[in-house]
Amino acid sequence: MRAGAAVEDRLFRALALVRVVVTINMVVLNVYRRDNYDHPWAAVVLIAALVAWTGYAIRASTSAQRRTTTFLALDLAWAIAAIAATPVLKGDDFNATIPGFWVMGALLAWAIHWHWKGGLVAGALLSITDLGLRDGVDQANYGNVFLLMIGGPIVGYMCESLQRMAAERDAAERAAAAAEERTRLARAVHDGVLQVLALVQRRGAGSADAEIADLARLAGEQERVLRSLIRQQGTVTTGPAVRDLAGMLEEIATGHALRVELATPGVPVPLPGDVAHEVVAAVGSCLDNVETHVGPDARAWVLLEVLPDTVVVSVRDDGPGIPPGRLESAVREGRLGVSESIRGRIEDLGGTATLDTGTHGTEWELTIPR
Amino acid sequence: MSEPIRIMVVDDHPMWRDAVERDLAAAGYDVVAVAADGHQALARFPAARPQVVVLDLQIPGPNGVEVTAQVLQQDPSARVLILSASGEQNDVLEAVKAGATGYLVKSASREELIDAVRRVAAGDTVFTPGLAGLVLGEFRRMAEGPADDPRDELTERETEILKMVAKGMSYKQIAERLVISHRTVQNHVQNTLRKLQMNNRVQLTRWAIEHGLDDDE
Repeated sequence: MRAGAAVEDRLFRALALVRVVVTINMVVLNVYRRDNYDHPWAAVVLIAALVAWTGYAIRASTSAQRRTTTFLALDLAWAIAAIAATPVLKGDDFNATIPGFWVMGALLAWAIHWHWKGGLVAGALLSITDLGLRDGVDQANYGNVFLLMIGGPIVGYMCESLQRMAAERDAAERAAAAAEERTRLARAVHDGVLQVLALVQRRGAGSADAEIADLARLAGEQERVLRSLIRQQGTVTTGPAVRDLAGMLEEIATGHALRVELATPGVPVPLPGDVAHEVVAAVGSCLDNVETHVGPDARAWVLLEVLPDTVVVSVRDDGPGIPPGRLESAVREGRLGVSESIRGRIEDLGGTATLDTGTHGTEWELTIPR
Repeated sequence: MSEPIRIMVVDDHPMWRDAVERDLAAAGYDVVAVAADGHQALARFPAARPQVVVLDLQIPGPNGVEVTAQVLQQDPSARVLILSASGEQNDVLEAVKAGATGYLVKSASREELIDAVRRVAAGDTVFTPGLAGLVLGEFRRMAEGPADDPRDELTERETEILKMVAKGMSYKQIAERLVISHRTVQNHVQNTLRKLQMNNRVQLTRWAIEHGLDDDE
């Protein structure tokens, strides 16, 4: 509860200022109304004692060790005693008590230290003392008591909330710092592993030894998988309903048998989960198509672009292209095949899928509204 | 035979540094300096005066982005080729904004590296499809923000070419497809990087522009 103690320290520092103000107020009002006293010299002694106590209380309350139960009890005892002394020094027909608003110091101290319960108890004790000395209760008396009873618990409750919030903030800060440190460490570890994998791949790639060449190939595969995993780590999941298309494409590009190179805008691309799922399925069909028609050694590139109203995914291969007329003849023969399934998926989402093929390769462009 | 290209290799992994150095030397390049962190790189750069800095982004000390900016400030004719392991996308984009003109992931082959160094030294830009995608995304994000100078937006042709690069097409394939020269493709790609760097500066100096301190045409 270090945060709580820090908040209490600050609140007691603020209270010190309040104490100074109410003490000055008490002294000035009593000097102004000195004619009301039956025993003015006794009043001077009492007020001097109250001022002295205030000075001590301000100093004592700066350190948590000195804010003991005894101290707080004495603080409230002085306030109650000063109220109780009023009829003795002023006579039974008094109007204002000697300490007046000075009792706020003790009340707020209890509220800060013991929260709403402290505020309630201190407020009740002060009110009972005050009302017990009066013959009748007028509107002003009632107002003061009402404020004491309501102000004490409210201030106490707010102090408790402040302390809790400070503790929560500290916990959150600690958690964030720990997470950041973990991320930093993970990044350092990943970076080192990536470097080694890439190095193994590089050194072994041209090796005449088949075993070493195989090792190099495996290292290369793992390097790609790890790099892709790291990128996926940065993607957000704002809930099951929203998925990050960039992260999902990263997953399918890495997992596919072909060597797929993915280009994204470098930020998460959130889409409704079912839409993202359909898009990824369509991209998967495109890639499968490349594997079937161009061969397992084909290379493929996937580009994800985010435009103001649409998301565009392009899938390109460097194969020989689809011979002219083949798609048309396939449709005529009633074989709708893969290309129609890709088109169907995207059109169901309200988007369009266009196919461009030629000697430069084959490219699907899937445009999906967002 | 012209002078061999002078290169500095900056990488905190000794094995990597040695491997890259060996490959470059074997290809006839002159590795004039190596450095293991940002401080060493900046300290050795002025004396070594390399034409190309082959730079890992994740290095201790001033990181790759800062090294890129400072090196190019000292010698604007130098070229920076980023050779990164994890491809931390933001770092790559920041390095390019700071003036790097080439980017390769470490899994690139020896031949790809040697070719990339040659091209970067010659003033070309070396884009991977991944980097092209990042740059495209960056320009689109900028287009959604407050409007800057329209001269810093990509032209339709530049966008088209950048998209082709992002889809894995070589400059040669793009040139054939668009029926333009290889050199023109190269120029368009260079322009996109130049505009990205300009935009970076624009953002840094937006305050000045907003206060009317920029020179009128």
